[in-house]
Amino acid sequence: MVAQTPSTGSGVLVTSSRLKTTYSVAIFLGLIILIASVMRNSERAWYSYLISFFYVVSLALGGLFFTAIQHVTKAGWSVNVRRVAEALTSFLPYAVVGALVLFIGGPKLYEWFHPSEMAKDPLLLHKSGYLNPTFFAIRLLLFFGLWLWFSKVMVGRSLAQDKTGDESLTHKQVGTAIGFLFSFAFSYSFFSVDTLMSLEPHWFSTIFGVYCFAGLFQSTMAFMILTILYLKKKGKLVGYVNENHLHDLGKFMFAFTVFWAYIAFSQYMLIWYANMPEETFFYLPRLSPGWVCVSIALLLFKFIVPFLALLPRWAKRTPAHLAVISVLILIMQYVDIYWLSYPKLNGEKAIFGLPEVGGILFFGGLFLYAVSRFFSMNSVVAERDPRVHESMHHHVI
Amino acid sequence: MTNTKKATCHGSCSTPGVAGIWLDEHVLVEAAKKVRSAGFKKTEAISPFPIHGIDEALGISRSMIPWVTFIFGLLGFSFGLWFTWWTSSVDWPVRISGKPMWSIPAFVPIMFECTILFGALSSVGALLFLTRMPRLNPPIIDPDLTSHKFALFIPEDDVQFDGAKIEQLFKQLGAVEVKRVEF
Repeated sequence: MVAQTPSTGSGVLVTSSRLKTTYSVAIFLGLIILIASVMRNSERAWYSYLISFFYVVSLALGGLFFTAIQHVTKAGWSVNVRRVAEALTSFLPYAVVGALVLFIGGPKLYEWFHPSEMAKDPLLLHKSGYLNPTFFAIRLLLFFGLWLWFSKVMVGRSLAQDKTGDESLTHKQVGTAIGFLFSFAFSYSFFSVDTLMSLEPHWFSTIFGVYCFAGLFQSTMAFMILTILYLKKKGKLVGYVNENHLHDLGKFMFAFTVFWAYIAFSQYMLIWYANMPEETFFYLPRLSPGWVCVSIALLLFKFIVPFLALLPRWAKRTPAHLAVISVLILIMQYVDIYWLSYPKLNGEKAIFGLPEVGGILFFGGLFLYAVSRFFSMNSVVAERDPRVHESMHHHVI
Repeated sequence: MTNTKKATCHGSCSTPGVAGIWLDEHVLVEAAKKVRSAGFKKTEAISPFPIHGIDEALGISRSMIPWVTFIFGLLGFSFGLWFTWWTSSVDWPVRISGKPMWSIPAFVPIMFECTILFGALSSVGALLFLTRMPRLNPPIIDPDLTSHKFALFIPEDDVQFDGAKIEQLFKQLGAVEVKRVEF
């Protein structure tokens, strides 16, 4: 193993003006489409807003979650890819604003924003202690406050270490990361229940939070792999990240592909087996002719294809192959969130058009802008982490 | 290869050859690279723990066990599929809660478990078969190879085998001990 000179691979990556323009155009165009859609058919526009928002919030939290588990396990191998995960959290400040805007759209999205609707239905009336706008706002503020605080502390320490090289910062991360993981398990579950599951206020599934988490981690791995490949193409991370890191991230992605399928099937099978109307009505539109194609596509392209394509060892060590599967998983993550929410809007058939594209452009552009801005200000590697050399020589047997 | 193996396989299944013993695994990896570039193809490395880079140093190709796991996993899956169909809708059909006789969702866990069971057992079986384990009288080059010593072994059926030259080569490469053994 020849130690390569690391000086070229670290440092910031300045965003090219062409990329900046692309992001700006995407954000601007997306915003215009969203606003226009709000005026034309406001309900659908808010659905589009919700699922794109949920998608990027999940990616940002996935980055924070990945960072936290590396600190808790005191992992050495992942130190040189950790900064990529930390970069994803740079979207969280924007997400706070996004959550406030989501609250404005609440009356269009959620039945339980209207006390008069709730009063008509005794079942919903029982849930109104939890499902009401005030408590919803408190929860949103609490969750985003927690996430923002933890990201500032954990990522902040990592960035401070770049300057000082202080090893005690690494030790401090462990306790904070444990605290985050504990609060994340609750907050993300409730967040997914509040924003997606409560679109059908009658329906409930105790595994729903885990289901969303499985997709979160799977898509975060896909996004991290693509970011690493992009940075390497730009000449960054050279000497820091090798195919063994990709192999391990690929294994994570494979594992959570299986985990997602496991959780999705667990949810489906119990409801199918018990066959109780208060639960099965969730699946009825999704198995109707207008939606069954989307359901089958999920099974096929979020599980079976990535499962087989990531199974061999070489698949996880070949950048081009890994990139294709990562793109597929990122697309299917959107389809998954879409599949969770849109049948409520239109149970007849799957609809996709300009309002959805607007949401994707707006939040996609904003997310990529936040991440690339982070890289243009901070080194792409945690250069002075005490375990950086351990990670440089990472080797999978 | 098979012929020579069989010829020497009288009870112990071992091949005579030359073994060198090292005290440092990094020196062993370097030695392994030199041995490989000297043209030997059947060199074995014996170590108490996995050594990073030894496979590449000796030019050991990937094991075929993943293929065994995959194929037997598929077989297990197919068996689960067939078996649940045969038991629930052919041999002893019982209608349960108004569902079709052959209700695949209910049988997915069985198919899943059969996949795991077949895959896991076949992997262990393939591992034992390929490493010729367990043996009643395993060859022992040095008892310390399971705690703190490392060895390279070149069997006599390797190309251009020359015991004296190999002994000299091992010593040059830093072996603390060289001996003629069966492995």
